[in-house]
Amino acid sequence: MTEGAGGAAAATPIAEGSATLGDPTGLHARPAVKLTKQAKGFEAEVQVRAGEAGTWVNAKSPNAVMKLKAGHGERLFFRADGADAEAAVAALVALVERDFAG
Amino acid sequence: MAPDDLRDLIARSAATIAAHEEELTSLDRAIGDGDHGANMKRGFSAVAEQADALAGLPLGEALQKAGMTLIMKVGGASGPLYGSLLMAMGKALPDGGPADLAGVAAMLAAGVEAVKARGKSDAGAKTMLDVLVPLARALQSADAGTAAAAAIATARRTADEALAATRDMKATKGRASFLGERSIGHLDPGARSSALLVHAACDFLEDRS
Amino acid sequence: MTDCVAIVIVSHSLDVARGAADMVREMVGNEVPVAFCGGNPAGGLGTDVAAIQAAIESVYRPKGVALLVDLGGAETNSEVAIELLPEAMRGHVTICNAPIVEGAVMAATEAAGGASLETVRATAEEFLS
Repeated sequence: MTEGAGGAAAATPIAEGSATLGDPTGLHARPAVKLTKQAKGFEAEVQVRAGEAGTWVNAKSPNAVMKLKAGHGERLFFRADGADAEAAVAALVALVERDFAG
Repeated sequence: MAPDDLRDLIARSAATIAAHEEELTSLDRAIGDGDHGANMKRGFSAVAEQADALAGLPLGEALQKAGMTLIMKVGGASGPLYGSLLMAMGKALPDGGPADLAGVAAMLAAGVEAVKARGKSDAGAKTMLDVLVPLARALQSADAGTAAAAAIATARRTADEALAATRDMKATKGRASFLGERSIGHLDPGARSSALLVHAACDFLEDRS
Repeated sequence: MTDCVAIVIVSHSLDVARGAADMVREMVGNEVPVAFCGGNPAGGLGTDVAAIQAAIESVYRPKGVALLVDLGGAETNSEVAIELLPEAMRGHVTICNAPIVEGAVMAATEAAGGASLETVRATAEEFLS
């Protein structure tokens, strides 16, 4: 699939996206759980960070996502690597954009 | 042990716990959550209710059954702890009961090991083990020829001294450990209930001999 | 549907146990089986070995059961309850060393994805670290 396996190719996420947190209380417990659950539905490795300077964390880890403590108006960035990476990022962006409804 | 004797031992144990319910509760209120008196009374009352059935069993089986009753009825950590003590003592008991003082000591030692395992603790943490461990040690180190009366006196004295020593200990196990230094200055309620039961057993043995 | 590890919540207080279970259902959803128990055999504050055993058995599955317990006796009594389970079940039931409410939500979130019992426990226990 990739040439020079393990090199730059492996570090390059194959899907990326971002969305702004609309919830006035930010990424509190309930949305964090929803985000994690959503991410777990995909095979791809999915990471998330709060703001461009934030540290990437595993979006499937409820602890890591809760510890982001992302606030209202902050932008969440997603990146994913794997067969369904694009679908994963699209789903997570949509989840944040619809304010975690549903 | 004759059925009447076992009935007597159970009644004495339940009576001393019931008579000291308030004291156990207030000791536990100082450094724990204040339920030791009520929990122990509930457990030993349940054992007393089964006295007739237990009295018909070999002592080892009776101890195991009583231990299981404590586990199921007490509702606090003391249930599994005292329950494990009795169950292990019952299992360690040779057929026909302990032949001599060394047999009693070995049975108690087996029970104490089970309490240590169940509570993941040992002597020095301000718990019931601070009475039971010194007691088991004292009985194990007694001369084989020690007269019953002398052994009983040793057991009582050891339990009393060991109980008193818990006052200055700092709790490192159970809820009392949350208090840290503030647990110092209070007798441990579990050590107190153990000492009460040691006295009940000693009174029983003394009156029987 | 994916088989999920089940969660059992054991508190000294039935109200706390029920409330924690409600939070799990509300935040994580119904796909993770949750059972709870609380109170001593006389109905006061405490825990009851028989009730814990019954709670575990009510949601038991070979995939595993993760227990979240509160203070002191709840843990000791849960250990005993596990030991009293039929031998085939015993190895599939574990106590998480985690705060009862937060641990339950974390464990259930992990369980919802179909994670193994070991992973569920690790996630619950990671909460404080």
